[in-house]
Amino acid sequence: MQVDKNIYKPLKAKLTEVIDESPLIKTFVLVPEEDFAFKTGQFIELSVDGIGEAPFTPSSSPVITDKLEVTVMKTGYVTEFMHNLKPGVYMGIRGPYGRGYPVENFFGKEVLILGGGCGLAPIRSLLYALEHIQDKLEKVILCYGSKTAADCIYKPLFNRLNQIEKFTAYRTVDKPEEGWDGSVGVATTLLDKVKVNISNSVAVICGPPVMMKFGTIRILEMGYRDEQIYLSMEKNMSCGLGKCGHCMMGEFFVCKDGPVFTYNELKYTPDIWK
Amino acid sequence: MQYKSITKEEWDKALEQLLSLHDVFASVTSEFGQDYEPIRPASISGITYNKPRPATSLKNFFLPVRENVTGVRASEKPRIIIGIPNCDIEGLSLLDEIYLDKDFNDPFYRKRRENTLLVASDCFGIAEHCHCLSYGIKPWSSGIADLAVISLNGTIILRVISEKGEDFIKKIPVSSSSVVQDMLTAVEKEHSSTEVLLTEANKGLPDYNETGRIVREAKKGIWEKYSAKCVSCGACATICPTCTCFLLIDKPGFEKVKQLDACQYPGFERVAGGEDSLSDLHNRFRNRYMCKYVWKPQKFQSVACTGCGRCIEACIGKINKNELFMEFV
Repeated sequence: MQVDKNIYKPLKAKLTEVIDESPLIKTFVLVPEEDFAFKTGQFIELSVDGIGEAPFTPSSSPVITDKLEVTVMKTGYVTEFMHNLKPGVYMGIRGPYGRGYPVENFFGKEVLILGGGCGLAPIRSLLYALEHIQDKLEKVILCYGSKTAADCIYKPLFNRLNQIEKFTAYRTVDKPEEGWDGSVGVATTLLDKVKVNISNSVAVICGPPVMMKFGTIRILEMGYRDEQIYLSMEKNMSCGLGKCGHCMMGEFFVCKDGPVFTYNELKYTPDIWK
Repeated sequence: MQYKSITKEEWDKALEQLLSLHDVFASVTSEFGQDYEPIRPASISGITYNKPRPATSLKNFFLPVRENVTGVRASEKPRIIIGIPNCDIEGLSLLDEIYLDKDFNDPFYRKRRENTLLVASDCFGIAEHCHCLSYGIKPWSSGIADLAVISLNGTIILRVISEKGEDFIKKIPVSSSSVVQDMLTAVEKEHSSTEVLLTEANKGLPDYNETGRIVREAKKGIWEKYSAKCVSCGACATICPTCTCFLLIDKPGFEKVKQLDACQYPGFERVAGGEDSLSDLHNRFRNRYMCKYVWKPQKFQSVACTGCGRCIEACIGKINKNELFMEFV
């Protein structure tokens, strides 16, 4: 317990680069004033000075501590301000908060990752973490869906992953445009392609609520047990400290008890997909 | 439990002397009712002892409605709060679990807790809607507070609860020999009478655990019926000794202002994308009871409703939660 630390005070971080990922999504490269370590899947509260803050899971590698990347979809008041920021300004960071992916539980296993939309942001961080420990894994399969090809973020990531022996990455789009010769359909349709040894596998799901819901149903149908499925939940995490009450989901504070839960932990909690 | 006594006159004099070095607050009854008020020499004689209960709860002393939580706080005088009913003292127990937890210790709350001497007051008699005993809380304090005060026939009897309380009474001219058995018998008699009154007034009211079952199993129609008169004003949560939800508001210079919030306000759970699991009034209404009687008990040791009854008193829609629970017992 850090008694003298002010848990509400943000650490300043310089915005050094803004990367356009898709029409609505940008990645912010931040250099904090102090080294900032996080575990993959944990989240931070990122603030625009004097405007507001919002929770995001960093999309960069947890191995790197002198800078971090946060991928932000323009969705509301605060994120709109973020999208207008130019390199050189300072942002605020609080955290890291919550329980990330327990990658040590993935050792010796096949990791199936199902992602949609901006859910690829936390997944990219997880992929970096898994790449770092690839010797300890059997294989890693990514199934990712976006609305259109233009909405797909981190496009170079897919080729790079497919060059790693143990990694396979699949992409699909809901609405194909002219010239698209890849898979068409929602992210779960890609699951038909994958070959996994389910008894020695874990599944990770991260994406918009509707994808989380149907993704979980599909993964359960494949034969995964409740405790093999890891969900990254999204709520209105305001304080990040398990105090303010905004992210309560049943008895859980998503900010402190999550954001990563096994489906086993949540299966009796009502309204988890809202 | 150790008891000490002091004449009421000497106690008032001792309080007057303490005013120079302490901020003293106490339960005071005025033309506007009974509430915690700052004490000045002239108001010492107006302190209300052993009467339930101040209109507002104790939590505001530790969790102000609004405060800057990033600025440097000026050092404050030590505080003494006198006349706290046990429902408020027990409410603090849950706040301690939340704000002094091992992972994230709130420095503002902690400093205030350390800086405050809690002088509880045994309740002799009950107020309308008091139901502490139904939830296993006695109408007098034996823990968490530092001292408990009883005013009896011109004598102030102090029950010493904590070391801090013991240190405090060393500073005032108390006597332990003068607490005679007759006095303690009189106090016990008051305790018993108050318990009888509470039991009589709350016949048929389910206990805390049973209330949890009722809340968990209650169907949508029940919440729709009882929330029909709710206007989402949040008075129930504002007045509650254990409701502590808050918002962090950003100010220039990366400053944060922490402001009490309530799950009864529309938009409490709304996320930027527009999803809001509490958008329906009956869901918000249910949420507060689920939090108090189902979810918090799964997470914390302390009860999340201490039976003070203030939420019933404060409701402008005259919603009485106890009527709901008694209907489904």
